[in-house]
Amino acid sequence: MMIEISIVNHLIDPHQPLPTTLVGRTGAVAEFSGLVRGNEDGQPIGGLEYEAYRPMAEQIMHTIIEDLGHRHPCLFVRVIHRVGAVAVGEAAVYVVACAVHRAAALGLVGDFLDRLKQDVPIWKTGTLGLAGRPLPPSP
Amino acid sequence: MRILFFAHLKNAARCTSTEIHFDGEIDAAALWQRLLADYPDLKGYQPSVRLARNNTYAVAGTRFSDADEVALIPPVSGG
Repeated sequence: MMIEISIVNHLIDPHQPLPTTLVGRTGAVAEFSGLVRGNEDGQPIGGLEYEAYRPMAEQIMHTIIEDLGHRHPCLFVRVIHRVGAVAVGEAAVYVVACAVHRAAALGLVGDFLDRLKQDVPIWKTGTLGLAGRPLPPSP
Repeated sequence: MRILFFAHLKNAARCTSTEIHFDGEIDAAALWQRLLADYPDLKGYQPSVRLARNNTYAVAGTRFSDADEVALIPPVSGG
């Protein structure tokens, strides 16, 4: 299984080409984009700020995917997570999994997202106002 | 030993990282004792914070040495 992990501070491009070696072997491609919603605790916001402990986050995501690959055999998995300011409507995380059959691709993406929220050292550290400036933390 | 703070723990510690030194190896309880002596505002967060040693979550029995990089990991919220 090929694994690509990126933590980036720029817009995620979900249209990056898949490896050409997958052509003819892949029967299912499952994609997920996690977008920033326009409200937080009932208040309108302009975005969210994310922070990562980058080397550990990359290492743990790799380990999680290798582990999940035993249960959901995939050919290729790509994960891209944003850090810094992410505006409403932009993707904070993008996952694509390629497999021979759909159950493995869908299963890996779903289970990975559960593990991401449990173990990967990435944090939402603040909210941005509608003008894009950081808002003070809630009391 | 290099200590890293993330998210709201940076505010509690009033820094992003620090260096502490000691002889030999210590366990998590001894490390916390030292951290809370230096950064008492971390105390309220301790129950929810996991320690990571050199990019791997510490487990029961993990020992920490002066050459390690130790991160204090508050509850994560990626995605």
